[in-house]
This record gives sequence, structure tokens and C-alpha cells, in this order.
Amino acid sequence: MKLAIPSALMLGAAWCAQAQFGAPPRAPQGPAKTIAPIDLTGYWVSIITEDWRFRMITPPKGDTEGVPLNQAGQKLAAAWDPAKDEAAGEQCKSYGAPAIMRVPGRFHITWQDDNTLKIEADAGTQTRLLHFGPAQPPAGPPTLQGYSHAEWVFAQGGTARRGGEGQPGGVAQRGGSLKVTTTNVQPGYLRKNGAPYSANATVTEWYDLVRETNGSTWVIVKTIVTDPMYLFRPFVTSTNLRKQADASGWNPSACEAR
Amino acid sequence: MRMMQTILALLAAAAFGAAQQAPARAPGVPQNFDNVEVHTLPAQGNVYMLVGSGGNITVQAGSDGVLLVDTEYAGLADKILAAIHKISDKPLRYIINTHYHPDHTNGNERLRKAGSTIAGGNVAGDLGAEASQGAQIIAHVNVLDRMSAPTGQQAAAPQGAWPTDTFTGNEKKLWFNNEGIEIIHIANAHTDGDSIVYFRKSDVISTGDLFVTTTYPIIDVAAGGTINGYIEGLNHIIDLIVPVYGQEGGTLVIPGHGRLCDLGDVLNYREMVTIIRDRVQDMIKKGMTLEQVKAAKPTFDYDPLYGSSTFWTTDRFVEAVYKTLSSGEKKK
Amino acid sequence: MEFFLRHRIVRRWLLVAAGALLSLPAFAQINLSGVWQNQLDEDFPDRLAGPELGDFAGLPINAADRLRGETWDASLITLPEYQCRVHPSDYASAFADIRIWEEFDRNSQTLIAIHLHHFAWATERTIWMDGRPHPPEYALHTAMGFSTGKWEGDILTVTTDHLKEGWFRRNGLARSDKAVVTEHFIRHDNGLTWVTEVDDPAYLEEPLLRSRDYVFSVAGQIAPYPCESVEEIIRPRGVIPHHLPGTNTFLKEYQQRHGIPDDAAMGGAKTMYPEYRAKLKGAGVQPK
Repeated sequence: MKLAIPSALMLGAAWCAQAQFGAPPRAPQGPAKTIAPIDLTGYWVSIITEDWRFRMITPPKGDTEGVPLNQAGQKLAAAWDPAKDEAAGEQCKSYGAPAIMRVPGRFHITWQDDNTLKIEADAGTQTRLLHFGPAQPPAGPPTLQGYSHAEWVFAQGGTARRGGEGQPGGVAQRGGSLKVTTTNVQPGYLRKNGAPYSANATVTEWYDLVRETNGSTWVIVKTIVTDPMYLFRPFVTSTNLRKQADASGWNPSACEAR
Repeated sequence: MRMMQTILALLAAAAFGAAQQAPARAPGVPQNFDNVEVHTLPAQGNVYMLVGSGGNITVQAGSDGVLLVDTEYAGLADKILAAIHKISDKPLRYIINTHYHPDHTNGNERLRKAGSTIAGGNVAGDLGAEASQGAQIIAHVNVLDRMSAPTGQQAAAPQGAWPTDTFTGNEKKLWFNNEGIEIIHIANAHTDGDSIVYFRKSDVISTGDLFVTTTYPIIDVAAGGTINGYIEGLNHIIDLIVPVYGQEGGTLVIPGHGRLCDLGDVLNYREMVTIIRDRVQDMIKKGMTLEQVKAAKPTFDYDPLYGSSTFWTTDRFVEAVYKTLSSGEKKK
Repeated sequence: MEFFLRHRIVRRWLLVAAGALLSLPAFAQINLSGVWQNQLDEDFPDRLAGPELGDFAGLPINAADRLRGETWDASLITLPEYQCRVHPSDYASAFADIRIWEEFDRNSQTLIAIHLHHFAWATERTIWMDGRPHPPEYALHTAMGFSTGKWEGDILTVTTDHLKEGWFRRNGLARSDKAVVTEHFIRHDNGLTWVTEVDDPAYLEEPLLRSRDYVFSVAGQIAPYPCESVEEIIRPRGVIPHHLPGTNTFLKEYQQRHGIPDDAAMGGAKTMYPEYRAKLKGAGVQPK
């Protein structure tokens, strides 16, 4: 009987919700590539209109304005030594998953298979694999790009009478977003001048597609880095990548520590 | 529509441009208005803005009748009257001209005849029935001089279009449709006969070509226009305006050409004009010739907004600024 | 009913059924209402303290706009008539918190508009959601402009025109009144991303797109922002502070402080692209 009343209440609430708002749309079923609500494939170029002097040049040591580093993080940033990183073969520390989408460059997104999206970055010649399906604990040691779990988040489609521009009820397109959660990363840098993140960092990303009336298509990548070791709160950025018609400008280059 | 407006405005302005060379010539006014529409935009209170092809027209309407500021082209008179009649079926009583240019006065005669004046007393006794025929046309006396050519040469405009009620001082006041109206003369600005019209209760200012949003200031040098007078006129307009908040709302401004405005727009325009004036003034102090000043492009950063290569070109504007500053006018 | 509820198996299946009905697949939210706190992790120095003079890097401005910036004098905003000038709607996401709320027709419960209140100067704008057309070109322009919106999936896309002259960056880079602005409001969980693309044929070589982030503020309060003009500097009537072209000595400070070449600091579309980094070798203040 203990479960009966809560069960009945839940059932009643669910029935009421459906009666008012309509039944939630069923999630499409099938391989991630087939059910993708948005098409992220193709070549994309960073358009650097934000954080210009933190991204286009290497800011001086200790200049970490905007990064919510705690005391430990600030101490580590103040000790940044690119020569040491070069000597240790760790030139790629600022090209890890928490930072790579923010590095100026071009990205090539393709389907490695029906349930794995591949992001290649020409800056630092990096590759990320985004795995759809049930979340799994990452196997193996931490890596620069860590382990990324991906899922499609489908647009709810709006309730009745919430449309606009001649659409009294529905929405123009269903759409959706890509959500990526990355863990198991090696320590690295949020910025090239050594603003650190630890192996405890978790990265949550949202990829959204917008199309402009001038014909351009953009993917807006929102990156949320949570790191209790070096950040006193999540570090949030949104990076803007514009779609290209082809691979023009694709320029694979080695990582640089400076 | 914008292209048609530009073309017609250019042709009209060519008329006064030609008048600068030969003031006795009749204005060359566009002939074909078939494709021109007159649009009505309520401004505030009793006041509306009509947008056609020449200068904007201001309409004030109420129980006393209709008052216009400027009249555009005679060829548009029927469309203008139709627009007015949608606002009010009361008689047209007054026309106020902000200056003499034909894109603001060419419709005077036709529109005046569509109106009437309340006359009585000695005037009616002296003139008879004639006293009440047609609306009154109010303007600064210099407007009458420019339109009538008192020198004995051929008048720039037909007599029926001339102002009937002129003033010589700084302003003329009127009470109409339950509000005070100030007709304020601004000396030697766009021309030597400019007036702005302030509807105090409706809180709207009609500026004539003392403020526009479409081009650099047109300084009719031959008709007494000067850049410093123009800037003083803009400052006077700004002094009259009370915004609601943040440079917006409150007193609205109907420019001679362009969209309905408020304080923020006038400030932006004044900023531009003052900065360009300062630049040219500095170049004059350095002894630069007109050609050198033009080559230095003192308007470069504002050209995408106001520059033009037809009729009132950027060069002509710079020339007007240079000439009126060089003639020894003290910078105010 | 009681017969069924007594049976454990039935109760458990009820629970499962209720859970299945209540649990949603991963669907996004589309209600933007609430108070949103501005996150300043991007462009922090620029957005809060204010941009440095002569910092035009990464903005696709043209030569005319560059001259606007080079000749701008910050003293302009000491003029009484400029002190209460508000940030235009396309610059609002640069800083400060916002409140968003929806307006419905009472009878039909159809969404009419979405409103946005911005802390700075307490500006409020309306995004019309009822399909109404934009006003004619000769209508008043305002700092907020005229906005209409539509949902594209769960993204609110807004088109704004009829803007007064504004700025791309508040160090003199003017944005003209010919601009059309497209915005996208994207919500995920308790985060909001506000994307703004400005298309300005007068002052931009290419459209300018930037995105700013917000976090939902549960107990959000936005303070009032009264503004009254005073005379801060006594000046002769009609004086407009500005620098004559070529005389602004402050323009080099940004370059010198950060080791940035003049060509880069002066902006332009080329400075937005990754390949421009090749011209910046050795730039910046390098570690010893």
C-alpha cells in the first residue's frame, strides 16, 4: 500500500499534464546519425570576435581575466612555463577538450560511424570522438580529449499558441541540440598562458545551429568547464563557428606552447 | 519609393541650385507624380506627418481647422488633400512655410485655394469677400523676398504661392486647435528665411530643412545659408526638446526630409555637423585651399550615412562649409 | 480499485507507468521567462570596465567606422544631453542582468509578445510574437528598435530594425541606423545564450556575430536605474568633444600595453579569421 498512493498521485499528475499540454512528443528512435535533428557535418571556421587578445595572441603570464580561477588555479597560472612544457613534449596542453573549440582554427565534423561524431581541429591537429548511446564509464587512462558522451536533445516544439510570425500554434521546424559531456581529461590549460584545469574537470557542451537571413549558418558551441580543483565556479564560454562551403583554409598545424 | 523621393528631391533642389546662378528663373519642379504616394504617420497630439516626394508636410488638425507646415509640390496637391481629409474634414486655415525652396512651397497656391480664412472687421471691410478666400500663408519676410523677387526680376514663384502674412522679428506666435504654436526664425542657417514650428501642447517641432535625416545639411549659400547658423539652429531645436528618458520620446521632431525623430536623432545629426565644421575650420586655419580640404575628406566617416554623389553631393556640402567659414564668420 | 492497489505487482506497474508518463525524453525548454544573470567569462575587461581606446581588434569594421573610433572622445558622454543615453538593444548583452517575461492575450491565451528589461538605464524592449509587420521606413527609430520574433525549434529568433545609431563597442565604434539585427535566444537547463548578429551596410565589412551567456537567477532582483543629467563640465554652448583626425594620442595605448600591432588593433574583417594569427607572430608581451 505504501507505493499505491504515490503511484496513483503520480499517475494522476501525469494524466493532468498530458490533458493540458498534450502528450510529450516521442523521441525518435534509431542510430544517432539517422535521427540527428541538426546537421553539424562540414567545415567550420572560428570567427574570433570575442576574447580576441586571449585567443589570437598568447596573453602574458598571469593575465587570466575572466577565468574564474581559485587561489590554487591562480598560483598555478602564475607558474606557467612554456619552455618547460616544450621540453616535456607537452605543447598541446592548451588544445584539450575543455579549450579546443575556443582555439582559432577550422573544424571538420563528420560521422565516423552511425553513432560516433568526429570533430577534427586543424589547430594542433586534434581529433575528438563524440559517442552516442548509453553513457559508459571511460576506459583507459586520461587523454587530452578525454571521453565524450553525446546525446541529441530534441526541441520540444512549443505548446499551442506560442508561435510567432504567422504561426498561431506550431513551430517552423522541430530542431534540437547536441549535448556533449566530457570527462577523463588530462590536466591542461583553459588559455594558452597556463590558466589551468585539472584531471577532475568535466566539460559540458551544447552545440546549436542557427541560420541567418544572409545565408550564413553558424554553430554556437557553449562550453561549461567545471573543475572543483582550480575553478571557484564553472567557466562558461560560447564560441561561434561559421560554416564553410568547403575545406578552404584548412591548415593542420602542430601544437604550440607559446 | 526611396529612389523616387531621391530623384524628385534632387530635381527640386536643382531648381534652387539653378536659382543660385540665376535667381529670376522659375523653379524646375518635377512633372510626373503618378507613382508617388502620400503616406500619413500620426506624430503626437494634434500633429501628423505626411511623407510624399518633396519635403515632409506637417498637419495639425482640430476643431479650429487644419494647419500645414509646408506644402510639397503642386502636382501632389490632390493626394495631399486626400490625405488631409482622412485626418480632418475641417477647413484648411493656415500654411506655414519653413523656407522658400520649391520642394516645400510649390504646393502653396493649390493648397491655399482649397482653404479659407476667417476674416472680419476692417480687413473684410476693405477687401470684401476676397479677405476670406484661401488659407493664410505665414513665413518669415525673407521667404516672401525669395519667392517674389522684389528686385523687379521675374518672381521665383507665382503670386498665388507667396506668403500672405510675414514677420520680421525672431518669432511669431499663434493659437490654433487649443495649443500655442511658435514660429521661430533661425537666422542664416539653411537659408536666410528659415523657421521652425513648435506645437507646444502636441509637443512636436517641424524643422523644415534645418534638420534632415537623409543628407548632409543643405546650405543655400546664395540665399544666405551658413554652417554656423545651421548649427545654431540645431542647438535651438535641442534646447526646445524635453525627452522622456535617455534622449528618447517626449518632444518629437518632423524633419524637412526623412523619418520622424526625437532628441537622439537631432543630437546625432548635430554631432556630425559640428565635428565636420570643426575639421574644416581647422583646415582653414592651416591655410588649406578648398581643393585641399576636399581631398582631405573631412566627412569620410559620415559618408556612408549622409554622403551623396547626386545633386547635393558631399563635395558641394564641403564647399558650402568652407565658403561660409572662410567668409569670416566667427565660430560660435 | 482497492483490490488492484493491494497487489504489489499492480502497484509496481502503476509506479512504472506513472514514471514513464512523467519522464520526458531529452527535450529542450522554450520558456525564457525569469531573471538572468550576465556571465562575464568572455571579454571580461571589455564588457565590465570598458574597452580600451583604440581596441578595434576582431571587429569587421570598415575604414569609415575606424575613423569614427579614432576621433571619438569619451568626454562626449559628459555632455548633459548624452549622460542618460541608453545602450541600444543590440549592445545590451554586453553586461548586466535582464528580466524576460511573456505577454498573452487574456481571452485566447495566444502569445502576443516577449518583453525584456535590462538593468542598465532600465531599458525595456518588446519582441512582437503575433506576426505584425515592421513599421514603414519613415517611422521613429528607437534605441531598442522594432523587434519581431519566431520560434525555430526551441530557439527564439528575433529580427530588429528601426534602430537609432548605436555602437559595436563603447569606445567610439558607431553602429549606424541602417543596421538590421538578428538575435537568437537559446536556453539549456538554467543557462541562456544570447546570440546577436549585426548587419550594418554602412559601417561593417561583414556581419558581426557575438554570443553572451547568462545563468538563471532564482531569487533574481534587478535594481532600479534612475538617471538625471547634470552639468559635469562647464563648456561654451555647442561644443562637441572630439579628436581631429590624426591627433588622438590615446589610440596607441592598447597596442603598447598588450604588444599588439597597429594593423591588428585597428580591426577589420581580416582580424576575425584564424589565418590572421600568422601575422601576429611575436606579438603580445612574451614570457622571458
